[in-house]
Amino acid sequence: MSAPRWQLSWWLIRAQFQTRRTATALSMLAIALGVALGYAIHLINDAALADFSQAMKSVQGEPDALVAPQDSAGRVPLALINQLARDEAVALVVPVIETRVRIGELTVRLIGLDVFSAGLLMPDLLPRQGESIKGGGLFEDGMYASPALLARLQTKIGAGVTAMRGDARWSTHIAGDLPAARPDDLLLVADIARVQAHFGPADAVSEGRIRLAPGTKLTAWLNTWAGKLPPGITLRAAADNQARLSNISRAYRVNLNVLALVALLTGGFLVFATQLTAVAQRSTQFALLGVLGLSPRMRLMQVLFEGLAIGVPGAVIGLALGWAMAAAFTRLLGGDLGGGFFSGGTPAIVPELLPALGFFALGCAASLAGALYPAWLNRVQPLAQALKTGFAQRPPSGRDDALRPRAGKAIALALVAGAALALTRLPALFDLPLAGYGAIALVLVLGIAVAPLVTQMAFGAFARRELPAAQRIAVQNVMQAPLMAQVAASGLIVSFALTVSMVTMVASFRVALDQWLDVVLPAPYYVRSKGVPLPPQLLAALERPDAPFARVERMAAGALNLDPRRPTVAVLVRELDPANPGARLPFTGEILAAPAGAIPVWISEPMQELYRLKPGQTLRLPLLGREVEVFVGGVWRDYARQFGAVVIGATDYRALGGKFEATELALWPHQGGEAAARDWLAREASRYGIEMAEAGEIRALSLDIFDKSFAVTYALEAAAMLIGLFGLAVTLAASVWLRARELATLSALGFNRAMLTRAVMLEGALIAAIGLAVGLACGIAVGAILTHVVNPQAFHWRMELQIPWLQVLPGAALTLAAGIIASRFAALQATRLPAAQVLASAQ
Amino acid sequence: MLSVANLTKRHPGSARPVFSALGFSIAAGEIVALAGESGVGKSTLLNCIAGLELANTGAILVGPQAQDIVRLDEAARAALRATTIGFVFQAFHVLPTLTVAQNVAVPLLLGGVAAGEHAARIEALLGRVGLPGFGPRWPGTLSGGELQRVAIARALVHRPSLILADEPTGNLDPRTADEILVLLLERVREEGASALIVTHSQHVAQNCDRILTLTPDGLQ
Repeated sequence: MSAPRWQLSWWLIRAQFQTRRTATALSMLAIALGVALGYAIHLINDAALADFSQAMKSVQGEPDALVAPQDSAGRVPLALINQLARDEAVALVVPVIETRVRIGELTVRLIGLDVFSAGLLMPDLLPRQGESIKGGGLFEDGMYASPALLARLQTKIGAGVTAMRGDARWSTHIAGDLPAARPDDLLLVADIARVQAHFGPADAVSEGRIRLAPGTKLTAWLNTWAGKLPPGITLRAAADNQARLSNISRAYRVNLNVLALVALLTGGFLVFATQLTAVAQRSTQFALLGVLGLSPRMRLMQVLFEGLAIGVPGAVIGLALGWAMAAAFTRLLGGDLGGGFFSGGTPAIVPELLPALGFFALGCAASLAGALYPAWLNRVQPLAQALKTGFAQRPPSGRDDALRPRAGKAIALALVAGAALALTRLPALFDLPLAGYGAIALVLVLGIAVAPLVTQMAFGAFARRELPAAQRIAVQNVMQAPLMAQVAASGLIVSFALTVSMVTMVASFRVALDQWLDVVLPAPYYVRSKGVPLPPQLLAALERPDAPFARVERMAAGALNLDPRRPTVAVLVRELDPANPGARLPFTGEILAAPAGAIPVWISEPMQELYRLKPGQTLRLPLLGREVEVFVGGVWRDYARQFGAVVIGATDYRALGGKFEATELALWPHQGGEAAARDWLAREASRYGIEMAEAGEIRALSLDIFDKSFAVTYALEAAAMLIGLFGLAVTLAASVWLRARELATLSALGFNRAMLTRAVMLEGALIAAIGLAVGLACGIAVGAILTHVVNPQAFHWRMELQIPWLQVLPGAALTLAAGIIASRFAALQATRLPAAQVLASAQ
Repeated sequence: MLSVANLTKRHPGSARPVFSALGFSIAAGEIVALAGESGVGKSTLLNCIAGLELANTGAILVGPQAQDIVRLDEAARAALRATTIGFVFQAFHVLPTLTVAQNVAVPLLLGGVAAGEHAARIEALLGRVGLPGFGPRWPGTLSGGELQRVAIARALVHRPSLILADEPTGNLDPRTADEILVLLLERVREEGASALIVTHSQHVAQNCDRILTLTPDGLQ
C-alpha cells in the first residue's frame, strides 16, 4: 500500500477511535485481559516448572538415568548398584538414601550419600566444614544442614540434633552446612553408611543416580537392562522426571488456558460487535470512498486495520498486564496456579521473547478474527445502494432465507448437532479433553445458528395476532431477524451459555464433593503426620485403656511409580473390613469379592481411567520390592488424588511382609468424651508436631478451597454477561441508528416518543429473551459436556449433573431486566433527534 | 472523453430493461445535462458510467485512454474512478470525521498524487470555490452551500477528465443553488474537464452545452 493510502487509512482509524471511544476502549481492554490471563498462566507455570526442576537438579544433580523402586516403601539392593557400576557403559553410580525425619516439630528431608561419588554428580549437596568444601574428604560423624534449616531450627553448626523416624532415632551434632543448597530447602545431608545404620535399610539404598560413559546411547543402554532388573525396580531416563513434572499440572494448565481463551474470544466478540456497528454506521462514508476510488480490497483491509489497531495495543497492554499479574501472583502466592501442584517456592518470572510474541499474535488474531466478518460485509456492500440508503444488513445475494430454513439449512444444523454429540463420545486426545472442547464450540455455533429459527417459531404465531402498533413494530422487526438482531442475540447466547455452563459445572462438582466428604470423613477427628510415620509413643498411648477414644483406624500413605512419565499413584494401606470396604470408601459401582487366596485392592476412579483398569481383573502391582498379583475389587470416587490411588487392607499388606507404619489416623472419641478427647489430641499433636483436625474443619476447609479455586470462574461469568449485555446495547443502538428514518417516519405518522421508546425496548426484550432461552439450552448442554466429558478426561473426576435452577433462573431474569435497561439506551438514541430533522437529512 | 455505445441495463429478476441500446458521447471540455422523469434510469445510467453498477451489454469508454469500464474488474474500475472521474452528489457526502482539507485530500490520496503537492492544490482550490481558510474546519460547522462547495473542490482536486454530478443543487435553496451551479460550471470549464450533470432543473440544463433527455424509449 502506498504512503498516501496509509495516510487515508490512518485518518479513518483515528476518526473511528475518536468517535467510538468507549466501545474501542472496551474492546481493547477485553483483548488485553484475554492476553494477560493466558500470558500470566504461562509465565507462572513456566517459572514454577523451571524452579521445581532447578530444585530437583540441585538435590538430584544431573544424572543420565535413575534406578529406583516403583514402590515408595521399596529399596534398590546394593547388589544391583554394584552390578550397574561394573557395566562398562556406566561411568558412575551414586547410591543415595533419602528419607524424611522429624526434628522437633519439623519434618525434614535427610539425604545419605557417599561424598566421593556424589561430589562428581551432585555438587550442590557438598557439605562445608569450617571454610573448606568437602569435595573428596570424609564426612564427619554428624549431619550437615542447609542454611534454611539452620535458620528454621534457630541453631548453629556444632549444636546437637536428634532426628527421629518411627521408633528409630539418631542423636548427633551439626557438623557443617550446605552452602550451595537452595534458599528454601530444609535439608540434611549425612554419610550414607551412618544414615543406613540409623534408619536403614540394610544392604539397600533408596535410589542410584547414574552417569553413562561418554558415547553411550541412553535409550539403547536402558533397553539392554530392561529384562535384567529385579521385580519392583525401574531404570529410567532422568529426563522422564521433567516430563512427569510437566504432566502434573498439564490438564489444569490447559483448563486455565481455555478460560483465558474464552476471555480472548469475548474480546474478539467485542471487536466484532464494535466493528460491525462501526461499518454499519459508516456504510455511507465507505460507499463514498468506494465511489471516489477506494478499491474493494482496501475497504476490506481498512476494517481489518481498524481491528488490528484495537488488537495491537490490546495485546501489548495484555503482555504488560500478564507480566505484572504473574509477578504479583508469584510474590503473593508462590508458583502455584491454585491447583496445589507447585506450592512452596517463589519462582522468578522470566519473560522470554518467543512466548511473548506468541501471545501477542494471539491477541492480534482474536481482534482480526472479530473484524473479519464486518470487513467482508464492508467489502461486498453495493456502493450505489449504500450511498443512497445506507447499510445493507444482508450480503447482496438478495436471498432472504433467514425466515425460511430450507432443507439444506436444517441438514447443516443436524450435522453440527451430530458432530457435537460424536465429539463428546471421543476419548481424550494426548490426555486432554480436546474433543470435549470442540463439542462445546459446536454447541455454541449451533445455538447461534438456530436462533433465527427459534425466533420464528416463538414469535410466528404472535406476529399473526392483532397487536398494538408499538408491539407490532417490535415483533415484526425481531421476526425479520436482521443482522444486528442476530448479533445482539448471539452475544447473549454465548455469554449466558458460558455462565450457565460454569454455574452448572461448579454446582455439580460442589454437590458431589459435599457428598463425597460425607463418606470419606466418617470419624469426628483426624491426625496426620507430614510424610513420616506417626510417633510410636503416640500410637502406644492411643492403645492404652485410658486413651479417650473408642475407636482408632490407621492408614499409611506411600507412592507407586507405575509409569515413569506419569505422576506417582498413591498407595493407601488402610485398616478396613475387607468384607465391607464400602463402609469407608465411596464406591461408584459393584464391590466384588476377591476369589479365595487373592488379595483384594480397590482402585480410585482416576487410576481406573489413567491405567484403563476394570473391577474383577487381576493386576500386578510393584509392592514391597516385588510384583504382587492383586484383585481389583471395585472402583471408588476420589476427588483428592488426581493421578490415582489404590487401597489395600492393612492385614493383607502385613501378610505380604510390609511394615505398616501409620501416617494418618481417624479417631472416634468415647460417647460423651468429645471435649476430653479433643484436648488430649491437641496436646499430643502439639508435642509431636503433627496435624490434627475435626471432620467439620476438614470439610469446611475443603469446601473453602473449592470455592476459592473456582472464584476466578465467577469473575469470568460476570465479565461474560457484561460483554453480552454490552453487545446487546451496542448492536441495538446501531440497529436503531440504521432505522432512524423508519422511526422518524413512524413519528411523523403519529407515534409519540413513548410509543417509539416502548417499541425499541420491547424489541430489546424480545431479542434478549431469545438469546437467554437459547443460551440456557446451550449452557445446560455445555455444562453437561464440562461435567461428563471435560472433567473426567482432564482430571478424572466424575459426578452427577446438577442444574442449579435457583441460581440460573434469577440470573436469567436479572439479565433480561438488564437487557431491557440496555435497550432503553438504544430507545433514547432513537428518539433523541427531532423526526423532522432526520427526515430532512439524506443518508 | 466519454463514449457510451449500445448500453443495456436490466435489474436482476426484472423482465424489462431500465434502458436499452443507449448511445452518446461527450467531447473533451463539453458539459452535458441529463434530464428525464423520475424512475426513468438517469441515476442508474450515471452509476453504470461510474462503474458502480454493471451494464448487461454495451461499452462505456472513459477518459483519455478510452478504457471500457464495463470490461474492467472491480479494482480496476475503482482505480479508474480514482484517477479519471470526479463526483458531486445531491447529498454532498462530505465525511463528517475528516476536516475540510482532509475531505478534499481524499482523491489525491487515492489517486497517488505526490504528498508534496497536496497542501498547495487544496488551498488553491478551496480559495476558488469560495472557502479560503476553511481547511482546518469540520464539516459539522458548515452550511449546505458550503458543504457542496467542499464537494466541488473534492471533485476537481485530482484534475479528473470527467465530472459526474447527480442533482448537485437538489438540496439547496434557489439562491444558493444558482451560486453553486455557476461555481461548478466555471470550475469545470476552468479545469478543462467534461461533465455529465443529472438534473430535473430546467435552469441547470439550460446552462449546459447540451441536453440529453432520457425517456422510456431511449435518449432524445
